[in-house]
Amino acid sequence: MITVSNLAKAYAGKIVVDIASLQVNDGEIIGLVGNNGAGKTTFFRLLLDLIKADRGEIISKEKNVALSEDWKPYTAAYLDEGFLIDYLTPEEYFYFVGKLNNRSKADVDEFLKNFDTFFDGSVLKSGKYIRELSKGNQFKAGIAGCLLQNPEILLLDEPFANLDPTTQLRLIKMLKEMHARHRMTIFISSHDLNHVTDVSTRILLMEKGVIIKDLHTNQDTLKELEDYFKV
Amino acid sequence: MIRILLSHQWKSFWRSRSAGKSLAMQILIGFFTIYLLVSAIGLGVFLQDLLKKIYPGQDIIKVFCGFILYYFLFDILIRFLLQDLPTLTIQPYLVQNIRRSQLIRFLNVRSLFTILNLLPLLLFTPFTIMSIGPVYGFPVAFAFVTSILAMTVFNHFLILYIKRKSIINSWWLVMFFVVMAVFIAADYFKFFSLSHISTIFFSFMLAHSWVCVLLVGMAILSFINNYSFLLKNLYLEDIVGKGRKKEGAEYAFLNRFGAIGELIGLDIKLILRNKRPRSIGILTVIFLFYGFIFYKPEFIAGEKWGFLLFGAVFITGLFIINYGQFLFAWQSAHFDGLMASNLAVKTYIKSKFVLFTAVCTVTLLLTSLYGLLTWKILVLQLAAYLYNVGIHTVITVYFATRSYKALDISRGSAFNYQGMGAEKWIYSIVVFLLPMAIYLPFSFINAWAGVIALGVLGLISFLLQDWWVDILTKEFFKRKYNILTGFREK
Repeated sequence: MITVSNLAKAYAGKIVVDIASLQVNDGEIIGLVGNNGAGKTTFFRLLLDLIKADRGEIISKEKNVALSEDWKPYTAAYLDEGFLIDYLTPEEYFYFVGKLNNRSKADVDEFLKNFDTFFDGSVLKSGKYIRELSKGNQFKAGIAGCLLQNPEILLLDEPFANLDPTTQLRLIKMLKEMHARHRMTIFISSHDLNHVTDVSTRILLMEKGVIIKDLHTNQDTLKELEDYFKV
Repeated sequence: MIRILLSHQWKSFWRSRSAGKSLAMQILIGFFTIYLLVSAIGLGVFLQDLLKKIYPGQDIIKVFCGFILYYFLFDILIRFLLQDLPTLTIQPYLVQNIRRSQLIRFLNVRSLFTILNLLPLLLFTPFTIMSIGPVYGFPVAFAFVTSILAMTVFNHFLILYIKRKSIINSWWLVMFFVVMAVFIAADYFKFFSLSHISTIFFSFMLAHSWVCVLLVGMAILSFINNYSFLLKNLYLEDIVGKGRKKEGAEYAFLNRFGAIGELIGLDIKLILRNKRPRSIGILTVIFLFYGFIFYKPEFIAGEKWGFLLFGAVFITGLFIINYGQFLFAWQSAHFDGLMASNLAVKTYIKSKFVLFTAVCTVTLLLTSLYGLLTWKILVLQLAAYLYNVGIHTVITVYFATRSYKALDISRGSAFNYQGMGAEKWIYSIVVFLLPMAIYLPFSFINAWAGVIALGVLGLISFLLQDWWVDILTKEFFKRKYNILTGFREK
């Protein structure tokens, strides 16, 4: 699905991402962990062609993401508020995203019904623009906007950090269900080792831009990660 | 404390992404600035001789006195267009151990550093010293310089106040223009004469130099007014309008146009729901009345078609200039999202063309009422319209691919009023010069040949629109990362 080779990005001489090679297969759930500055978000931005790599390439379904726009129809991402259009109401935003992905209004409404518990009554019909929602609710809207696109590849940057505990668990459950149904390839970065090992099938541990551990999740993974992050 | 804040400003200016790259541009601006200053000094020094030549046999000091208030009326208008609000991202400082009054003092001091404050001094001081000083004595000359300084300060803080007010409530903008229009009209139709008032007041000052205290008092009042307004409004302003229930809107007529229609709907909502673009929208509507200034009966009678044509270009292309100057930057807050979403860049760029064309067409229809003056205006406006939708749009989108400055429209806060980048200056120069460059060579044949040339070239370019879209898409990709990085830097 995605092949990364020889990828590097540096800011002011400091290497932020340096991945010699990485192969991600169809249907994997990748958990990205690592301390601040490990390069998780930068890697995401590179995957979305939002910054220019110093060298190397990312191939998504045989196409270089920096040279074609063909990855856009099947890729969805929510990294931060910059992915929302903040002067729209959440509904308007969903219709907009729906329209870009050829989903009718009725279709979007139908789809959003699945999110009633996830939204917990504070996103839809709130009478607010997105900019007036709390950060957590913005995140919920962003995630729903992603799933609405029915993506084959989904990127979420620290989704657990901004959500309340209940919603965190709901998100994990939802992602697992979606994954089982559509065989989505998912990238999740997180500082929450518990959640991320729970949801992922594979963990990438990053340090200063380099993937230093590549683990297939099993019952020992959490222990291994906790050992790494021990103070 | 003010020193530290000023140094932060200095750093934020030089360390912003757009600073280093456009060194050539800065040199150009520096050159213009020096040129302007030298011109002002030159004019100031030669004002004496100039007035003697223009008004032979009259007391040039009296003439000068009548001129002062006019200058400052004009000064207000210029300031409204050019003077930037001092920007300081206030939030990080509010929680620090800095007194509010210090922050405000900083904002006020910072704002004074503008060339607009230097101009009147350079223009008037030489004359005052050379002409008034020798005749009326040093104290009177001193009073004049003080008055000019005081009026400069008065205008300076008045404009800051009005601008800040108009960010919170756009009606201030309308009011400002109405008041100015009434003033100018009243003077024009001789209800009262500003020049007369000016003459009386400053002639009185020649004899009684103490009256300059009045002007100083006004300047202080203007300062205090601005100060107390800031003190009350130092909180972030997004509280305004909160609590009102927001309804979604849908523009059914756009549904037919697929993704392009959706993007245009997005632009419309952007204009209606955010303070800064909304002011631009209101301004665009107000400027539709510019026809009354451009299309003067004496110009029509005098068959000044060339001049009228530029009026027409301006009026029919207003929206492109106003909205287009920040074309992509309006969306800088969610540009990451747009670029990662299922949206081809080509579609995005095409949508801007369609938006411009649609608004220009509506403008053309509305302003065809000016055809009542003479049908020839209709022809001029049609040619101007074709130029605007055909060529002006291309230039505007091209410059949009070269501007990397983010714009904060969501806060609408007085302290986030980002200024013009250097590329904006180049853009305005091109916008003003290009129609002239097309018109002039043909106008040697005949004025109408120039008009037709402009229209025909516009039409040809318009028919090539899809080709332009392809080229501009490529241009966009050349600088995509620069734009994205610039927009991410708030």
